[in-house]
Amino acid sequence: MRYVGARVQRVEDRRILTGRGHYVDDVQLPDMLHAAFLRSSDAHALIVGIEVAEARLSPGVVAVFTGQDIKALTKPIEGGIQMPGLKTPEFYALATDRVRFVGDPVAVVVAESRALAEDATELIGVEYDPLPPVATYEAALDPSGTTLFEDLDDNVVYRVAKTYGDLDGAFRDADRVVRGTFSQHRHANVPMETRGAVASYDAGSGEFTYHASTQSPQGLRHFLSSLVGIPMERMRVLCGDVGGAFGLKGYVHREDVALAAVSKVLGRPVKWIEDRNEHLLASGQARQETVEIEGAVKEDGTLLGLRVKLVMDQGAYPGVPFPASLFTGTISHLFPGPYRVKGYSFDGTVVATNKCCYVAYRGPWEVETWVRERFLDVIARELGLDPADIRRKNMVNGDADDRLITGASLADVSSRRSFDRALELVGYDDFRADQVIARAAGRYLGIGFATFIEGAPGPADMRGGPFSNERARIRLEADGHLLVITAQAPHGQGHETTLAQIAADEMGVPFEHVRVIHGDTQLTPFSLIGTGGSRSATWASGAVLHTTRAVKDKVLAIAAEMLEISPEDLDIADGVISPKGVPQKSLPLAQIARQAYMSPTTFPAGTDGFLEASEIYTGADITGSGWSGGTHICCVEVDIETGAVSILRWIAVADCGRVINPAVVEGQIRGGVAQGIGGVLYEHSAYDETGQPLATTFMDYLVPTAAEIPTIEIEHLETEPTGGVDFRGVGEAGAVVAPATLTNAIEDALVPLGVRIREQHLPPSRLLELAGIIDSRG
Amino acid sequence: MTSEIVRLTVNGRVREALTEPRKTLVDFLREDLHLTGTHIGCEHGVCGACTVLADGVAVRSCLMLAVQAKGAEVTTIEGLEFEGKLHPLQEAFRESHSFQCGFCTPGFMMTAMELLNEGLPFGERELREHLSGNLCRCTGYQSIVDGVLLAVEKVARGQSSTGTDTIPEGSPAAEDAMP
Amino acid sequence: MKLPPFEHHLAGSVEEVVGLLAEWGDEAKVLAGGQSLVPLLSFRLARPAHLIDINAISELSYIRDGTGLEIGAMVRHREAERSVVVGAEAPLVAAALRFVGHTAIRNRGTVGGSLAHADPAAELPTVLTALHGQVVAQSRRGTRVIAAESFLQGFLTTTLEPDELLIATRFPPLPALTGWAFNEFSRRSGDFAICGAATVVGLGPDGRVRDATLVFSGVGGTPVRAVEAERAMVGEIPSPELWATAAEKAAADIDPPSDLHGSAAYRRQLARVLARRSLHEAYDRAVSVA
Repeated sequence: MRYVGARVQRVEDRRILTGRGHYVDDVQLPDMLHAAFLRSSDAHALIVGIEVAEARLSPGVVAVFTGQDIKALTKPIEGGIQMPGLKTPEFYALATDRVRFVGDPVAVVVAESRALAEDATELIGVEYDPLPPVATYEAALDPSGTTLFEDLDDNVVYRVAKTYGDLDGAFRDADRVVRGTFSQHRHANVPMETRGAVASYDAGSGEFTYHASTQSPQGLRHFLSSLVGIPMERMRVLCGDVGGAFGLKGYVHREDVALAAVSKVLGRPVKWIEDRNEHLLASGQARQETVEIEGAVKEDGTLLGLRVKLVMDQGAYPGVPFPASLFTGTISHLFPGPYRVKGYSFDGTVVATNKCCYVAYRGPWEVETWVRERFLDVIARELGLDPADIRRKNMVNGDADDRLITGASLADVSSRRSFDRALELVGYDDFRADQVIARAAGRYLGIGFATFIEGAPGPADMRGGPFSNERARIRLEADGHLLVITAQAPHGQGHETTLAQIAADEMGVPFEHVRVIHGDTQLTPFSLIGTGGSRSATWASGAVLHTTRAVKDKVLAIAAEMLEISPEDLDIADGVISPKGVPQKSLPLAQIARQAYMSPTTFPAGTDGFLEASEIYTGADITGSGWSGGTHICCVEVDIETGAVSILRWIAVADCGRVINPAVVEGQIRGGVAQGIGGVLYEHSAYDETGQPLATTFMDYLVPTAAEIPTIEIEHLETEPTGGVDFRGVGEAGAVVAPATLTNAIEDALVPLGVRIREQHLPPSRLLELAGIIDSRG
Repeated sequence: MTSEIVRLTVNGRVREALTEPRKTLVDFLREDLHLTGTHIGCEHGVCGACTVLADGVAVRSCLMLAVQAKGAEVTTIEGLEFEGKLHPLQEAFRESHSFQCGFCTPGFMMTAMELLNEGLPFGERELREHLSGNLCRCTGYQSIVDGVLLAVEKVARGQSSTGTDTIPEGSPAAEDAMP
Repeated sequence: MKLPPFEHHLAGSVEEVVGLLAEWGDEAKVLAGGQSLVPLLSFRLARPAHLIDINAISELSYIRDGTGLEIGAMVRHREAERSVVVGAEAPLVAAALRFVGHTAIRNRGTVGGSLAHADPAAELPTVLTALHGQVVAQSRRGTRVIAAESFLQGFLTTTLEPDELLIATRFPPLPALTGWAFNEFSRRSGDFAICGAATVVGLGPDGRVRDATLVFSGVGGTPVRAVEAERAMVGEIPSPELWATAAEKAAADIDPPSDLHGSAAYRRQLARVLARRSLHEAYDRAVSVA
């Protein structure tokens, strides 16, 4: 293993650092037009009339399309993952008769420049008849209230209720029942690159090229083809560099459908680049869930049972293909975490409200870790126990028969190891001693920790679903170099580097001789998800590993015949095939490759000279527990005069199996933690009670900066290489566990003031309210 | 709106184009001069992705009108390499795995360039505050901080291409020179 | 968003500017650094038909000391921040400037522009008020000097007439035995302050407070002077309790707004804390120059 495990410098940096990336806004095509959307400023209203005549005459305008125009050109937005009982309304790319959130697109102008298109949107007259806004859970659940969609009876789009184990017994045997209601606030992915695309229909050939910024080029192609009516064989999605996504860009957005339809009609390329205002208003938001929880516990801290009731705010329109309701599945399965319980119930309700669409955001199930880990601290405090002891009491050891009460095996899970190590690294007992001294001096120091598990890929009994597979295509080129074509759609994960590391090691060629390509649907194999769900480390790596092996086997079979040596006795190193221990008798890979292209029929009989392979990898030789996860721990100080939180130390003990590239893994963890910190202290996609958004610029939606995010120390719990596919996903980890880690530390700091943290957004003013320093009535 | 000819020096080359006065410098660089290395992240001067050097100092090119840049000497990320050789700052960022998706990178690069050019000493705390005008969503900043600190070391040790304003843009040798 | 259309005029002299302003009045906006104006244009909240660009008027780029300090309208924040003269004559200004946004903003933003923009959360209007400064406005009708309190009228509103150009800012000299301080609290490094406190504390030869000025940013439509609290400090013996009491009084006297970043109660709390910290710091400075 020369490359896997090493901090190989990134292939991507070659262009990223020199300003030669190719992001979708860099696409400039001849004859290209620009689109701007007119969006609703009402949260909920009927569209009584829309007048576009003046806009059509505005300088530089080529066309104006209303919702009715787009409706005539496209199918309703559909194709999302189906779940029994999921209610999906009918809706189109643009609002037709009704707007349902501030930012709902009602018309699209196409003009010679974006500026001219925007000028024209101001000339469009829309007459709205306001409807009562539905902006809270209560309003959404009110049976006598307003319904967002006429084809649904109410605003509840999904309900699920499940019970596991002996729930009644757990509560019967309890010494007490601890209760709490915990709320997460709406916040958002906010990649640095907004959404955008260039839709380019060539009327002459009927070819449609959609230049996209997406996490799933094949998924996008599939949906656009269907919704806009372009045969798949004529539909090509091209995705170059993507400036971040975090789940947002795994969707076919309504704007995508509108843009494609418009280009098809005009027969010219049309570009739409979302500006930041639109982005914060209308791209996608996440995390708005509230959980009511009851825990059956014994006085000694033993956790017996959990009753969990969750409400999730999906915004107005469901996202395709991953509706908000989908995530209740993972939330409910993972909720008990790596802890023993005898009984557990989960009751989930998803409601529609007049807000922006709820999209997947880096670990869309994060609420389960936040509430569970928060609740464990709450239980500890109520019982007068140390939060660490509560974990020690209940955390599984990863024994062979350890299992989530919801089914999946927890055998070999390293949670306990990561927990012990995290406390050791931070010097837990020393911190507690320092805390006593600090408190006496009037300083509020706190420590918080959280342990999480992630099914990336999960144990064998969790695999086997529709996403437990991945394709790759690999070709040995005539010069002995390797072309790896992946279904992944990286947006910062460094797949051009990590997958090349795997292929280079497996094939036995220099890293520099491997090229990974992605993003062009004419070349790439199919994947609905593309990059998401922390899947690439296992699934894409496994696919690349096995597909490379398939090409290698072909090459070795040929070389074996030529050298008259058994293939098992041949090695490939540095692009040269030689018998083990007999380097003099060697055959350059390039020689076989050239022969394969130039004189394919000269190969020995019985060998396959077509030096390409395409495989669907379905999880062969995935080794280890299957669980990714770990424990994070942080120390904070709260300034009780201003409410400011300083993060003094942050340690991540991470288990993602075998690490392909430590620098990439560390970057993923730190980035995720930064987003988790951002959610707790800075970021809020706030709406008022009438559904008006309050954070629509970067002056109000606060992304944390280098001055707010601390240094994060990382220790990997690595496993010995098994020769199998022992890489596990880590993309979402930091974001999933950071909010719990931080909010636990904040409450710990404020224990002397009797503060109870039951909400995730803790800006300074809120902390002072909770601490009783200021009045919450303003 | 009366269009104006904007003539300025970008990465050492004199460039010129006709533009509406309402066009920002960043749009002018990207659309009229086809220098797409500088990115747009917010158009309200907060995220810093559009940062370039104008007459030696870092500016938000989304908050400058193109017509305000007449006669200016502008350096963008494309102007840092010299004859295919990376600037020590670029090398330091590469060795430190500073970036992921790359969208914020041009802004950080030019903000850091200003800092390096000034040559004043700073510690990590100060550096983080200086960089707080550039947003990154991928990295959590630590790798970027490491990269700048490494760049300072490299410059101090004298490992440099000059990376000055006389660099010709789009040097074809660059592709080959990088390992 | 992209900017709305406008005519751009690069002026060569102050005379030219005031001529254009006389003609267009409030259909025109003056473009200096653009760091406040261009975002407003980008949000399409401002739609002037004409932009009068004053960046080429070199006669507006000066820093002059004499009796007090005079800074020409086009002096960039960064230049003023680093100026030895400003540091010596009006150190409160230099200190406050370090809080203005980020370097890239300060490289372009101007002292004149910031004051004409009059954002109550900004540093310079607050410091101008604390130092009893003035602005100089010129029009075709002549020149007039406007004291800070008369100049800053409301949220993003000054008493500049539509035909007037702010050409300079004046900061009177600080008397002997005077200390100053500026503290602000923002949620992130470089953000607009939720609240800031600028103070100037002068001591008499007997060591008692001779005069005190305490001005808050972020708590009203303009910088807000805590006049009652100031009065209560005059003639008193300096002590931590005096500062705490004055801060308490100052916080009680303001009527701050509530928004996404903080409630009125929170701003009042910040005002109390920052006032106390600033008064203490200003006093320490006063005695250290004694």
